[in-house]
Amino acid sequence: MHPSSTTHFKPCFNFTLYLNIVQASFMATKQEEKSTKRVQYPLDPSSYKILDEIGAGVSAIVYKAICVPMNSLVAIKSIDLDRSRPDFDDVRREAKTLSLLSHHNILNAHCCFTVDQRLWVVMPFMAGGSLQSIISHSFPDGLTEPCIAVVLKETLNALSYLHGQGHLHRDIKAGNILVDTNGTVKLADFGVSASIYEYPNSSSSSTSASTSAPCLSSSSSIRLTDVAGTPYWMAPEVIHSHIGYSFKADIWSFGITALELAHGRPPLSHLPPSKSMILKITKRFRFSDLDKYRKGHGGKNKFSKAFKDMVASCLDQDPSKRPTAEKLLKHPFFKNCKGSDCLVKNVLQGLPSVEKRYKESKIMHETTPSDDDDHEGDMVKQENVKQRRISGWNFNEDGLELEPVFPPTPSDHHQTKEDDAIVKVVRFESEMVHDESQEHDVASLGAISKLNTSAINVNVNNENVAEHLMMSCIVDRSSRVEKIGGVQVGGVLNNKETMLTTLNVLKGSLEQELGQVKLIMNMIQGEEIHQVVDDRQEHMDQEISRLRTELENERKKSLQLELQLQNFRLN
Amino acid sequence: MKGLFKSKPRTPAEIVRHTRDLLLFVDRNTETRESKREEKMSDLYKNIRELKQILYGNSESEPVSEACAQLTQEFFKEDTLRLVIKCLPKLNLEARKDATQVVANLQRQPVQSKLIASDYLEKNMDLMDTLMVGYENTDMALHYGAMLRECIRHQIVAKYVLNSPHMNKFFDYIQLPNFDIAADAAATFKELLTRHKSTVAEFLSNNYEWFFAEYNSKLLESSNYITRRQAVKLLGDMLLDRSNSAVMTRYVSSRENLRILMNLLRESSKSIQIEAFHVFKLFAANQKKPADIVSILVANKSKILRLLDDFKIDKEDEQFEADKAQVMREIAALEPRA
Repeated sequence: MHPSSTTHFKPCFNFTLYLNIVQASFMATKQEEKSTKRVQYPLDPSSYKILDEIGAGVSAIVYKAICVPMNSLVAIKSIDLDRSRPDFDDVRREAKTLSLLSHHNILNAHCCFTVDQRLWVVMPFMAGGSLQSIISHSFPDGLTEPCIAVVLKETLNALSYLHGQGHLHRDIKAGNILVDTNGTVKLADFGVSASIYEYPNSSSSSTSASTSAPCLSSSSSIRLTDVAGTPYWMAPEVIHSHIGYSFKADIWSFGITALELAHGRPPLSHLPPSKSMILKITKRFRFSDLDKYRKGHGGKNKFSKAFKDMVASCLDQDPSKRPTAEKLLKHPFFKNCKGSDCLVKNVLQGLPSVEKRYKESKIMHETTPSDDDDHEGDMVKQENVKQRRISGWNFNEDGLELEPVFPPTPSDHHQTKEDDAIVKVVRFESEMVHDESQEHDVASLGAISKLNTSAINVNVNNENVAEHLMMSCIVDRSSRVEKIGGVQVGGVLNNKETMLTTLNVLKGSLEQELGQVKLIMNMIQGEEIHQVVDDRQEHMDQEISRLRTELENERKKSLQLELQLQNFRLN
Repeated sequence: MKGLFKSKPRTPAEIVRHTRDLLLFVDRNTETRESKREEKMSDLYKNIRELKQILYGNSESEPVSEACAQLTQEFFKEDTLRLVIKCLPKLNLEARKDATQVVANLQRQPVQSKLIASDYLEKNMDLMDTLMVGYENTDMALHYGAMLRECIRHQIVAKYVLNSPHMNKFFDYIQLPNFDIAADAAATFKELLTRHKSTVAEFLSNNYEWFFAEYNSKLLESSNYITRRQAVKLLGDMLLDRSNSAVMTRYVSSRENLRILMNLLRESSKSIQIEAFHVFKLFAANQKKPADIVSILVANKSKILRLLDDFKIDKEDEQFEADKAQVMREIAALEPRA
């Protein structure tokens, strides 16, 4: 059965007919619930015939396949287990989530089993592919509002269920929202999702502890602290993850996804992923910025007040002010929301098949010169952080970075994509000039990563913290390097004002760094108490003294800069 | 009429009692009228959900410790847990998940700073047998597995499970074809063998023979990649734990064990090689190597040294390099004994 041969739902405008359909689908889900016994798909690879590759990431490939005995199309995500952590806790959790969640808007697994070194996750085949792939192929300027409403509402249904189950998705984006030929929308990819019932923090403490019981309250109770997700969609509190985050982080990503559907890409996607993180930290991304941008852009996309209001509420800096998924469903924007046939008629018709789109995007990928990570200096590290995992059917994620379509400033928004790519390359070269500072960065990063590995042996939870710190160090440093680069490449200091702000930003970044180094030191000192193996401790001590020198150096630098700043003020 | 009842909220204890009555009804299964049965079932689902909300809170409110304590006390006053476990297969998926989460939470609820769940389980250990063999039922495995993992947080329960006649079934459960179930069983197995140090040490000493015979043949020499990898990692964790030092000394004195580890060291998977090295180094570092261990190492000296020399890991790791250098020195210095 080929997807294109499936008969499409006829678009209907008759309201009573529409109601009937809604009722019918409601009945269908009721019946699904009733039969708790799931159809068992075969657990051996020989029962499946692979037809085509439809997605790939660092450690996983997604295939379109046919399950021969069932005669049904499936998608198989094949994960390389040799790259997974030895306890397999992450894959185990993903597999468990996939088999226990049961909701009409969630893509779960038929079954999963190992095939030598790989884990095969067999899922229903969603012939329309991801919304990200649809948008990048056919709707570069975004979807229309009625279609956005349908997609978002279905996604919210999934989110509301997920949160009620104590799960955070942690990677909401158009690339993880899939559509079937009949317009069914499903949320996919639970590769980085977390359950509050099964989180290391909540289960690793001692038996007698009474405080370890998790709870579902959205106000404060669970506090996840590891960085997970994809930078452009990540909530500020996830980036600042030491303060902890909860369900509301998904709501932020949901808001960003709304903008992604509306504009064809997430805000700030013209920047490399690390930059978008800094901007959120320092400048605080605001919805109004986007409004401004749109006005400057001729305002081709006119969105209703309800839409803007809905998105703005999701993008509140304060997580507690963002609405819950359940509450969002009652937002006026979702009143009069059309049925899934709206997607069939306006979005899916005439769309090339998933595999064809994937092949096209792959060709584009291969011919883009800056694709090669190797000459991107420390960007490679960030790339790795970001791509530690692959998103379900995330066909064209790289395209977002390689072809930044969101213009950097209104002044150069006439530039073509190629120009943009060149600008980016130049920027990297300017970073290369400052070999010295980079070397220094690498050295200290090395120290941190060594710390990181020794921390792993002691406590897995801390690994996440260390990893996060490492990542934010990378982010901060790259920002600093770039800032210095900007100033020196610019050459002439024609504006005292600019210099001052630059230096101020720099100072801020150094201060933040100081704080982080202190945090790491605290962590290590905390660790020492539990340390039993003596030589490990010795090793740690060495690292601490190394970091102390590091810190001292930073302090000196910061002092120097402050002096410089003073000088400028005096002038 | 309904509104009148609503105005007076039930206490947590009352909800537990009501749940228990409904479970008894489900268990007896005497109701013949389908509609009546369905009504009771949905009533039961609502009650279980309410219990969960008291224990975990909801999006608006956090759990109240007083209410949790009351609920816990009432729950364990009678045989409610047995009923829940027994009736779980008759519930729908959502209720099964809710019930599992309720049971999990109750294991950690203190009543007057005592974990009464542990006291209850001590008198009802047979329930653990039900949970363990639950891995054989595809539909129930993940629910029973999650409950079991929470119950073995109590040392006394872990001890019972380790010494239960079902313990050796884990060697098969770990390799079940359904990955989600196999991985869950592996997580429980690992928890059993690492969590309560003194209990684990005692268990391993008393059951050394059969346990490691099974461990070697079924896990370390399994044809299944993931089984081998998990097993060699867990073996390293167990042997490197100080409380198991007696077991470690015994393990590294066996020629058969050395053979198996040397084979794992030659695997094509880098991850398995690394984990195998962490066990292999113990054989080499042992200062009282038996003669047959020495002779194997001597006979394979050049091969081992070459293998270790080429053995590089992607991440820079000083500890690993130091260990490797030491192992190579030890082996290079070995001379055949007269």
